[in-house]
Amino acid sequence: MKISLQWLRELVAWEDSPADLAARLTAAGLNVEGLSEFALTWPGVKVARVLECNRHPNADKLTLCKVDDGSGKTYQIVCGAPNVRAGLHVLLATVGAELPGGVRIEAANIRGIESRGMICSGAELGLSDDEAGIMELADAPAAGTPADELFGCRDTVLDIEVTPNRPDWLSHLGVAREVAALYGTKLQPPRVLKPTPGGTLGWKVEVEDFHDCPRYIAHGADNVAVGPSPAWLQNRLRAIGQRPINNVVDITNFVLFELGQPLHAFDRDLLGGDVITVRRAGRKQTVTMLDDVSRQIVADDLIIADGDGPVALAGVMGLASSQVTAGTTRLLLESAFFCPSLIRQSSRRLGLVSESSYRFEREADWSMVRFAAHRALYLLQELAGATIIGDAIDRADPDRQVPPDLALRVHQVNRILGTDLSLEQTADVLRALGLKVQPLSSQIEAKTVNLMVQVPTFRRDLKLEVDLIEEIARLHGYDRGTRGCGSPALTCRRRQRRDEVNRLLRIWLPALGYHEIVSSSFSGRHQLAALQLTAGDLRSECLQVLNPHHGRETLLRTSLVPGFVDAARRNLHAGAQRPVRLFQLGRVFWPAGRKTAGTRHAQEHLLPEEPRLLQIGIAGGEGAGYGGIPLELLELKGLATELAALLGIPLSLRPAGREPFLADGLQWEILDSSGEICGSLGRLKPETAAALDVDANIALLELRLDRLDCTRPAIHYEQFSRFPAAKRDLSLLVPSGVTFQQVEETIRGAVGNGLAHLELFDIYTGTGLPAGTCAYGIRLKFRSQHGSLTGTIVDETIQRILRDLASALQVYPRA
Amino acid sequence: MHEAIARLRAEGLARIDQAATNEALEAVRLALLGRKGELTRLLRGLVDLEPAQRPAVGAALNELKLEFGAALGRRQSELAEHHTAAAVCDLTLPGLPPVVLGTAHPLPSVLEEICDIFYGMGYDRDEGPEVELEYYNFTALNFPPDHPARDLQDTFFLGTDILLRTQTSPVQVRTMERRSPPLAYVFPGRVYRNENADASHSSEFFQIEGLRVDRDISLVDLRETVAAFVGSFFGGERPTRFRPHYFPFTEPSVEVDMQCMKCGGRGCGICGQSGWLEIMGAGMVHPNVFKAVGYPDDAYTGFAFGMGIDRLAMLKYGIDDIRLFYENDLRFLRQFRGVL
Repeated sequence: MKISLQWLRELVAWEDSPADLAARLTAAGLNVEGLSEFALTWPGVKVARVLECNRHPNADKLTLCKVDDGSGKTYQIVCGAPNVRAGLHVLLATVGAELPGGVRIEAANIRGIESRGMICSGAELGLSDDEAGIMELADAPAAGTPADELFGCRDTVLDIEVTPNRPDWLSHLGVAREVAALYGTKLQPPRVLKPTPGGTLGWKVEVEDFHDCPRYIAHGADNVAVGPSPAWLQNRLRAIGQRPINNVVDITNFVLFELGQPLHAFDRDLLGGDVITVRRAGRKQTVTMLDDVSRQIVADDLIIADGDGPVALAGVMGLASSQVTAGTTRLLLESAFFCPSLIRQSSRRLGLVSESSYRFEREADWSMVRFAAHRALYLLQELAGATIIGDAIDRADPDRQVPPDLALRVHQVNRILGTDLSLEQTADVLRALGLKVQPLSSQIEAKTVNLMVQVPTFRRDLKLEVDLIEEIARLHGYDRGTRGCGSPALTCRRRQRRDEVNRLLRIWLPALGYHEIVSSSFSGRHQLAALQLTAGDLRSECLQVLNPHHGRETLLRTSLVPGFVDAARRNLHAGAQRPVRLFQLGRVFWPAGRKTAGTRHAQEHLLPEEPRLLQIGIAGGEGAGYGGIPLELLELKGLATELAALLGIPLSLRPAGREPFLADGLQWEILDSSGEICGSLGRLKPETAAALDVDANIALLELRLDRLDCTRPAIHYEQFSRFPAAKRDLSLLVPSGVTFQQVEETIRGAVGNGLAHLELFDIYTGTGLPAGTCAYGIRLKFRSQHGSLTGTIVDETIQRILRDLASALQVYPRA
Repeated sequence: MHEAIARLRAEGLARIDQAATNEALEAVRLALLGRKGELTRLLRGLVDLEPAQRPAVGAALNELKLEFGAALGRRQSELAEHHTAAAVCDLTLPGLPPVVLGTAHPLPSVLEEICDIFYGMGYDRDEGPEVELEYYNFTALNFPPDHPARDLQDTFFLGTDILLRTQTSPVQVRTMERRSPPLAYVFPGRVYRNENADASHSSEFFQIEGLRVDRDISLVDLRETVAAFVGSFFGGERPTRFRPHYFPFTEPSVEVDMQCMKCGGRGCGICGQSGWLEIMGAGMVHPNVFKAVGYPDDAYTGFAFGMGIDRLAMLKYGIDDIRLFYENDLRFLRQFRGVL
């Protein structure tokens, strides 16, 4: 909302600089977001009288004028306007003048004739849209009078942020009230015209339902002379960024910004019948509105109708059919109070927010409905020569309830603000705001009501005692209290395990070279499709945003994979050193997932499951490690095992996972201690990577953190063996088809408890081996709690291992 | 005896001087002063002397022991210097990195930092769903149905009654439904607004909500809590001010400004020449919210506040574009190495 200080000064007086006023308003809750100077000035432009006009000798459409600028000299000006003629008073831009848009006037030679200046049109001066001809000044102002004196303006404009609870601040009068309260000065209400009884309007108003329109006032004005508004009125509107149109429209706009009450003026001669009906539209229809745009009205919309149909979408915008034009002489002026939520529904459905709908949906001021109409009548009479018809219509809901007075307990004021205010101090603050206050008890205690406060119609936001308490805080100051509870009780708070696990991961993973990313919760259809999820998969069903930006289809992610690939692609393209190691902790949204039960709200089942996932990945890795497995998969497999150990949760990896987007034969399922699948590890299929627009190997490890029982088992110290370990290396010939896991389990089974360490340190698949075998180099360490192991015992154990390997797996030592 | 001492002195000092390495010098030390060393042997021999001779010889031997000690020390530092001069290592060569370290993302880091501050003040932490019922996001928070207050936050709708939460405030309601005061909680998490992205707006970002409810919590408690937080997070004494504002779920409602850290209140480009930076919205919990969660009338008072984690991170690290947080460019992330 823009507030002109010139305008504000007509309503209230204050002694302060604009900057200090802005600071005080901001401190009182009227946040001033901007303070700017508005100037309408034309240096070098002045009134001149056209003395004579002659045809330009070398051009048909140009006129050669001799003008007098009041200085006693005459100038020769070439003018192209069709309406120039001797005797006119015009605005002359003299040599050196600067016009809006930066045009500089210089002496020019036009078709062989010197022209020392330019006679201006309204458009050239930024005063109107009229560019067809030069401005003809009425009332013959003296030649030489600067244009600034006639039309200019200097103003300071505040740009204030008005919160939805304070519709009263959407007007100069409302801000003036606040200034009066802050500076202790008096409001000067603007002049109005109360029509004297007499004359007949000849119209009736029918309100179908007072719920929809609790009040409708209609006035008539005749003999209206539509024309430009006076400069002062135009400049008021220009200063706050509004475009002047004609005096009638300008007056309704002026009253809207001055008093906050939207008005609408109909051309009475363009209305059909003699009854104005305020009713629901009843059916769909397409209409053309004042802004020349066709829109559809639906059955539930509240409309103003004449005998022929709708003439306005109530509170939002009038229709073009009955709008005031240059030829209008008889007006019907509407001032009403509409149901806020109805106006809001129409405005939102059409995406049409007008100055009028913006105010009506925040609730109009009941008393202002009549006052604003009278203000407009005064201005119509003064500025448009209108004859006001004494007969007026005021249809108001007879059952309208006056909001009850509010009870205020000073004890509660002090309890919430931490203050020690007295009854008198409290009452004084409320009185300064223009509230009527009636003291009751002077006893300040918990349940005693001390004041009854009558709320004026312009403060509909004051509904509860606590709203009054806010008013007291606002004016009394937020830093005046001294009493509080102090810190919460002396209890020691720390992270729950869930948050602690996140914190540990965010320490460990960067230390292992991984960068944390935060990716978007939104996803596109093609990204989801790229994952090739099957129909029964929880992740194949997703929530869709009903009102996305620019209508672009927006889904909520059901997987972290596309977000990871986005980040990987960006960094690979940017030339980051390969491989790129990233991780993320994030939620995904599964509408088909398990619902949370047992909450208070019946609609809780509408919400999706929101699993918390950990995803770790490596992009752009190259090369294979032992067994032909890609190195980055080996790294992630090792990491998975290590993380499980660090978090103290037993996880196992089972080859042959079934993720549709991971390459077959290169993926694992991750199982928790109960055998439930809680994650996956593998390499992204090349076609998935291609569909997600990345050309690099991507290995991904994903864990459902919300499914894991991350409660760390308590650590109990175990006595360790202080005796030296015995070390043996085995070289084994392993036939294809036998897995490392089988070999390991067989060895462990053969040894029992004493195996301290088992490590695969080599896999040889080269020449010199029997066909269909490879050679494992396995290092074993044995250790006993009871003493140094003798060579004999170790040798016996090795023999046992070799025997079991041979019998169970046909694995033999390499010769 | 004196002769033997003099000979040992001359010999010993010569051998010390001739030792060419640290190892050789150590061998000389042992030969002279060790358990079986020559000087040690002479000292042991003292008992065999006439009692009258013992003090003088003893004194001479002790003096020699000190002299050897000094000579050994001198020679040791000579050898050390010599050694340095001899080895021509370029010690300015770069060290080997232990591993190429990764980085934690600054947004969750700032989130954790804020939680840490509140753990220290005795607060608990909880979370709520990001896809939320309209009831929890608006109705229970005293946003009247069909009221322009709902336009304060442009909302992504997912269905008639479900939406992407526009604020972390619904977690207040969920927590109060389950628990009775006294309560002190922070609720961090991701929130969503249907806004066009630019340098200072993102359609998804992070917030942290705070809630404290007890029998007689006052605005003074809110002020003190805010001051303690600001001092801890931004460091130093930073003036704050409360500006009246409007949030449906608090009354009185305020916006909290902090004196601009860049210009100290004189006005600069960061604070739009005002000298103040808006850092949070706050207020006293509205009685209608207590009513919605089923607390008895007038039984409790409380305060709530909400901060944009992205905004705080931007202020703290001088980041001028919120979109950087969601691009995950390593050239950006690497700048937060070592931050947790």
